[in-house]
Amino acid sequence: MNGLKLVGKSVLRKDGPDKTTGKARYTVDVDLPGMLVCGIKRSPHPHARILRIDTSKAQKLPGVKAVITGIDTKGIKHGFVETPRYLPDQSILAYDVVKHVGEEIAAVAAINHEVLAQALKMIDIEYEILPAVFDVEDAMNPDCQVHIHPNHPRVKENYCNIAGKTQTQWGDIDAGFKEADLIHSDRFESHLRTHGYMEPQTAVADYRGDGTLHMWISSMGHFNKRKKLARTLKMPDASIRIHKAYVGGAFGGKIDLFSHEYCVAALSIKTGRPVKYVASREEIFIAYRHGQPLISEIKTGVKKDGTIVAQQLRMINNAGAYKGSGVVIIFLAWGFTMIPYRVENFKYEGYSIFTNNPTRAPLRGHGAPQVRFAIESHMDIIAEKLQLDPIEFRLKNARVPHEELPNKDNVHNCGLIECIKEAAFKTDYTNRRNLRPKTDRLDDSNPIKQGIGLGVSAYFGGSLIYPNGSSAIVKMTDEGSVDLLTGAIELGQGSETVLCQIVGEELQLEMDDIRIISSDTATTPPDIGAWISGMTYVTGNAVREAAAGVRKKILQVAAEQLNEKTENLKLANKSVWVADNPEKRVTYQDIFQASITRQKGDTIIADGHWRTMRDEPFHPSLASTKGRWTENYAFSVQVAEIAVDTETGEIKLLKATTVHDCGFPINPQLVQGQIDGQVSLALGHAFMEDVMMKKGYTLNPSWLDYRMPLIHNVADSKGVDVITENYQTGHSFRTKEVGEGLVSAILAAIANAIYDATGLRLYSTPFSPEKVLKGLKQLKKNRGLL
Amino acid sequence: MKQAIELIINGETYDLIVTPNVTLQEAIREHLGLKGTKAGCEMGTCGACTVLLGDKPILSCITLAVECQGLEITTIEGLSEGPTLSNMQKAFVRAGAVQCGFCTPGVILSSTALLKKNPQPNVNEIKKALEGNLCRCTGYNSIIEAVLDAADPSGHLDHQQDQEIKL
Ligand code: FES
Ligand code: FES
Repeated sequence: MNGLKLVGKSVLRKDGPDKTTGKARYTVDVDLPGMLVCGIKRSPHPHARILRIDTSKAQKLPGVKAVITGIDTKGIKHGFVETPRYLPDQSILAYDVVKHVGEEIAAVAAINHEVLAQALKMIDIEYEILPAVFDVEDAMNPDCQVHIHPNHPRVKENYCNIAGKTQTQWGDIDAGFKEADLIHSDRFESHLRTHGYMEPQTAVADYRGDGTLHMWISSMGHFNKRKKLARTLKMPDASIRIHKAYVGGAFGGKIDLFSHEYCVAALSIKTGRPVKYVASREEIFIAYRHGQPLISEIKTGVKKDGTIVAQQLRMINNAGAYKGSGVVIIFLAWGFTMIPYRVENFKYEGYSIFTNNPTRAPLRGHGAPQVRFAIESHMDIIAEKLQLDPIEFRLKNARVPHEELPNKDNVHNCGLIECIKEAAFKTDYTNRRNLRPKTDRLDDSNPIKQGIGLGVSAYFGGSLIYPNGSSAIVKMTDEGSVDLLTGAIELGQGSETVLCQIVGEELQLEMDDIRIISSDTATTPPDIGAWISGMTYVTGNAVREAAAGVRKKILQVAAEQLNEKTENLKLANKSVWVADNPEKRVTYQDIFQASITRQKGDTIIADGHWRTMRDEPFHPSLASTKGRWTENYAFSVQVAEIAVDTETGEIKLLKATTVHDCGFPINPQLVQGQIDGQVSLALGHAFMEDVMMKKGYTLNPSWLDYRMPLIHNVADSKGVDVITENYQTGHSFRTKEVGEGLVSAILAAIANAIYDATGLRLYSTPFSPEKVLKGLKQLKKNRGLL
Repeated sequence: MKQAIELIINGETYDLIVTPNVTLQEAIREHLGLKGTKAGCEMGTCGACTVLLGDKPILSCITLAVECQGLEITTIEGLSEGPTLSNMQKAFVRAGAVQCGFCTPGVILSSTALLKKNPQPNVNEIKKALEGNLCRCTGYNSIIEAVLDAADPSGHLDHQQDQEIKL
């Protein structure tokens, strides 16, 4: 018994009944009277100059209410990153050159889909086709003839198409390598995957006569969207109201401002009617942002005893046609590298490179799975070379509690060592590893080979991004229940449930006593948004502060009513009583009334605010990594148990064990849900999913050909938490993160398990049957078995 | 050529005039405004639009409305009664088998159809019945638990909070 009422318990989801009965409203479900439908004319070419756009025929078509083109939006720029170093570089609608297939050129509002389809066909565009480049290394080659954008002015190296660079170092890298007994280099590559959110990209705009723009957007953070809409539409923030709607999944793909969001707003302003856009699944595959393929080159110097003395990394990101989040991932990749293990001498360079592919977005973990795949594979390779136990090797270099990171952040209660030990223990890792010599692994009569592998991951929660913090309001009602006002957005992670649990804990209320009013920019306070895994930590603490304010007022008024000191009071069941005289009590309802009658009409209401790094004004520099990040680092170790069919090359993930330090889990069932989801995404990443692109065109733009995990692919998934007790003292609990980077090691674990099962080391994702069969054949050849 | 049709949805009869190319999904969502049925792809690949035709789950996005003339259709709205959720709906809440919820109506209808045909399915039978329903959030683990629990509530799921599962 920890004395907690709601927190730490698998309280049922607040949105469960709505979502299971079809009552939950998503943006795709919004229908307004007189609503028009919007469609977008997109580029069929990966790189072309627009010579002429003729919309006259479309405009004359009966039922077409408005058409906008690049002429109407000329000069408006937006970008995932909008800083002095990385200026916004995307147009709403292209007017001179299109740089990827699917780039937006014109938007139409029409009375129905038939008219819309016809109108889009009637827009006549003449292009001059330009040479294009798709491969990241071709694009950065100094001799590349295709210059998608000028090189970043601050990056002077002799490469082409540089969108941005991150570099940092500490210690003395050369001296470090000199100390090493072994220097080993590897190169890893990851491929293109997509989010696969079930609700399509969609937005509704309704510009009303009073000059306010009402919007519904399938988004991950309304306040950030509103900021970007206000700036591009040249409207005051306050004139734009983004309403609440549930979000049918996002996984990083719905953060940025998208052209269609601006277009529905502009078309609604132009026509005076509501306008709705829903992207087709094919459009999402062809034109929208996917994840980020990365090339990771790693060189590490290690002493015989396993101490890492130097590490040098070079990461190359294929950013697509605009900067997107490409210039962010090369920064984050440094973070994913430096968090788990101590490296005294370190050098990092990350390049983001323009190509004529669609722009990229974060995808759950924003590079963490790719980076950890590279590093954890590399760790196992080194351990074997030095004949070290891979567990001991990791333990030797793992961060310890209260260690300072190179960016001066502190890992505080870091449970990494416990995670590694517990993972090894729980899975009997050391005994189950395949200890037979590698050469024997392939010549058994049984074609199914079992293997076990392990990986480490870590993440920073709640780092700064506009609006940089969250606020919350809790107010009491006449009956003594409360309303919680929060900007947090429910996209499946369970934010509404978790936040209500926190309020309920503070005020000793039942879940049903708390109503949540959320993600509405007009009525709820600003919120950081559902990214960088900050919700439970940042918004959770703002909510707790607001609830604590209400608690304080309740106790104050009760103290007056009961003529007692507040220290002598207890509260539960919507009433307050004197600890040693439970008969002496007042209900919340009475307290509320008393507050109004006795306190000049004061109601019971309080606000709360939170941000990470309260004493740090700015974000860390994307270019130099300087600046602090967060006080909230979370750690995990994941173990994969797999079976490889050496005849077909198919691999099955049998079991994933996730041992994590996610702080104090507010709701264990929701934590497990996040882990299961991330494991499923990783097995898709590892074995099935691949956005196949040829010359900028997506070859498999449907779920028939882009294979996401089905129920047949379900993997047994177990979560175990460690050092949870460190995060709770009395009624105080400290949360971290669980949704993305924390559980990003399973891909790495799978790669190491494949090696364990077969002796085949894979350096690139996906681990497809073709690749596995080819690799196994080569192994057998090398060993004279073929 | 527009056609007058009659659809019996959740026991109520609706008269509609549609062109022959209108899908059942469009008829349900756009013409009748029953938004519980979802659309994830509109090309028969995700299962979000699943409804029951009689006792059989079908994909409403690749079914024409005119083909359903006079037939009985159940959508997600037809499973609950007032504030009371069906056993399957309750089991999904209990198991935490709902995250973003976008796949949920389709998955629950497919699962409901399964239990009608086979009240005690094993895990393989559940997988077979739900193989056409994509879920990106849950990894399917909790969905399997929910269906097992709906079939046999004496399993391992905690039923302590049951009275709270209501609209
Ligand atoms: S919407 Fe019908 S199967 Fe996807
Ligand atoms: S709950 Fe989100 S897709 Fe299934």
